[in-house]
Amino acid sequence: MTSPPIWRLAPGQRLQYRCWDGECVLYNDLSGDTHLLDEFALALLEQLKAGPQAAAQLAAAFELDAQDEDAVLQIVLDDLSALFLVEALPC
Amino acid sequence: MLTVAALGQPELRARLRGPGLRLRTGPFISCIRSSVPALGVALARMYGDYPVLEDDVPADFDVLLRRPRGLRRLVKPQVFFHYDGMEPFQPLPLAQLYPMFEWAMNWCVSSHAHSWLVIHAAVVEKEGKAVILPAPPGSGKSTLCAALVARGWRLLSDELTLVRLEDGRIDPVPRPVSLKNASIDVIRAWAPQAQLSPPVADTMKGTVAHMRPPQASVVRADEPASPAWIVFPQWRAGAPVELVPVPQARAHLRLAENAFNYSLLGAAGFATAARLIDATRTFDFSYGALDDAMAVFERLLAERR
Amino acid sequence: MTALPLLTRVLRQPPSMAQLGAPEWELLLRQAVAADLGATLALLAEEHGLLKALPPRVQRRLEWERRGWQRHGQAVCFEVRQVQHALRTTGLPLILLKGTAYVAAGLPAAAGRLFSDVDILVPKASLHEVEGLLMAHGWASSHHDAYDQRYYREWMHELPPMQHMRRGTAIDVHHAILPETARVRPDPALLRAAARPLPDQPGLFVLAPCDMVLHSAVHLFSEGEYDHGLRDLFDLHRLLCHFGANEPGFWKALSLRARELELTRPLFYALRYCARLLGTPVPAATMTAAEAGRPNPALLALMDALFTRALRPMHPSCAGPLTPLSDGMLFIRGNWLRMPPFMLSRHLFRKAFFTPRNVKSGQV
Repeated sequence: MTSPPIWRLAPGQRLQYRCWDGECVLYNDLSGDTHLLDEFALALLEQLKAGPQAAAQLAAAFELDAQDEDAVLQIVLDDLSALFLVEALPC
Repeated sequence: MLTVAALGQPELRARLRGPGLRLRTGPFISCIRSSVPALGVALARMYGDYPVLEDDVPADFDVLLRRPRGLRRLVKPQVFFHYDGMEPFQPLPLAQLYPMFEWAMNWCVSSHAHSWLVIHAAVVEKEGKAVILPAPPGSGKSTLCAALVARGWRLLSDELTLVRLEDGRIDPVPRPVSLKNASIDVIRAWAPQAQLSPPVADTMKGTVAHMRPPQASVVRADEPASPAWIVFPQWRAGAPVELVPVPQARAHLRLAENAFNYSLLGAAGFATAARLIDATRTFDFSYGALDDAMAVFERLLAERR
Repeated sequence: MTALPLLTRVLRQPPSMAQLGAPEWELLLRQAVAADLGATLALLAEEHGLLKALPPRVQRRLEWERRGWQRHGQAVCFEVRQVQHALRTTGLPLILLKGTAYVAAGLPAAAGRLFSDVDILVPKASLHEVEGLLMAHGWASSHHDAYDQRYYREWMHELPPMQHMRRGTAIDVHHAILPETARVRPDPALLRAAARPLPDQPGLFVLAPCDMVLHSAVHLFSEGEYDHGLRDLFDLHRLLCHFGANEPGFWKALSLRARELELTRPLFYALRYCARLLGTPVPAATMTAAEAGRPNPALLALMDALFTRALRPMHPSCAGPLTPLSDGMLFIRGNWLRMPPFMLSRHLFRKAFFTPRNVKSGQV
């Protein structure tokens, strides 16, 4: 069994975004796309700005329980990865 | 300052046929050439108030409208638009020469003017505040724009909203307002004093005519405006007026969708759009009657006094 | 030789931009846009510290060009990343070619350079695997006509161009730098063996300096179409200047490598026209060594006349009365080097009569 990946902000992402009433638009420095994200996803990205972290650490930072960690966090991380905003580093 | 009207027809035609007529529209200088006499007639009618320049300043755009050479010109009268030796569009029937000129002028700006975020939207101003009207075709944007202009709002543009990258102000590029199909008669009735070009039928957009902008708008083409509202119009027959706020993040995306060069500008496009959203209130607007629509805009203005 | 067009003179001597008046600026900008060198002009002005001295309206025009180029560079880098990701299981070094290589390597030749396809080099034996992986990651083959497919797969040195279905971007997968059917076929294994890794980008490679120059020369002097002749010549000029100044032993190695790869003829032309039109400072010894590629006097006279016209900006101001004929002859000549005569006539016939025409041809 492989150990869980470490997540980090994709190199080159400066996190240029604006939030209004719980919804945010973010400029993707790599693809040039603009994304509509919710505040949680943005907070996750800001958290990763501090440095690479494993999912467990991220869950702890947001005080998520194990269920939420699996269900919500993983989905969001996968989505953000598909957008080239974050990437998983193999251990 | 020399204007098209002051130039006189013979000189106007000579310049069009020869070295080019250098016309200033807002921040841009276009060098326009055509040997087709009808263009000189149209420019005299629609651009009388516009400044004409000499060749001591380089033009931004090079617009050539010409007919094909040889036998083709007899068989099927057509006009081609050339820009710097390239042909951005397919040729059109000669009867559509003047609408083609207006489309060509729009194309020049929307394809190249990357010192601004160029939004496909009308923009008008009153009491120092500008309202931006983005909309895809069929939304009634141009009719609304023409109507507002006829009721004293200053025309900045009917198709191209130029938002400066450095400070978010809007630079005017006032040009004749394009009207389609039913809206031609609507505006004729609404503003009997307005000067309209002869309608041209069977274009890609149906029957098309243009409204000459008020001289007051043209002479103030150097005066930028500050944006106050973004209103997404949707005309529906018989609809009551309704102004519904649009959530700002969504408005940002809709603005981006309506901007020609948002993607090209990258981070600067994003920042400019975001600043615009911060500076304005954004609404979806439905209406059926122009009188009702005018009242809504005057009310918006009153709220900000 | 007749006077050089304004754009060529400016490329040859960028500081001369500072002396131009308004009518000349108009002409220069029009020629540059027609030659796809608008952004290059902007970057040259910047590089030579000239921007602030230019008329404000010109500065603004150049800014427009620059912004387009910047966005393009961002898109190229992102695209290369995607390709790298798609092909990671092959274990192959990802060798970038042409404009893609200039951008990735940060070479002066990248400044202002726009192009529409990403170009890569892979071993012929891996073509099938590479094509399969690209398709799995969203690229689809274009040119579905059976004849065109065969043209590419059997006779050319590349797969039919593939287009990404969602992003719309295009990739050309090459296995050699000249087609199967050409008279001269430099061994691609030699090119791959000499490829150099990019320092900060693991897995990415570009051709060795001499090979990059020779590839560019081959591309220009045996391609069929010269729409971008001046731009491609300017690429060569910038590559030569950069490597000449920064790569020890470059000039000597260039002649030797040309011999090794049987590319002395394109090198001869490259050095000749770069020096003549753009004033590239080629050392005398290298010019002498390049004589090995000199054609017979009659052919050379013809090529001089043809190329001088073909390497002008494609703008009405530069078209002479002979231009259409010249371009036609060069098109035939280009294909002659790449395909034997009987196949050539069949190909041209098909291309002229059966290929759907577009109003505006795409960028190369």
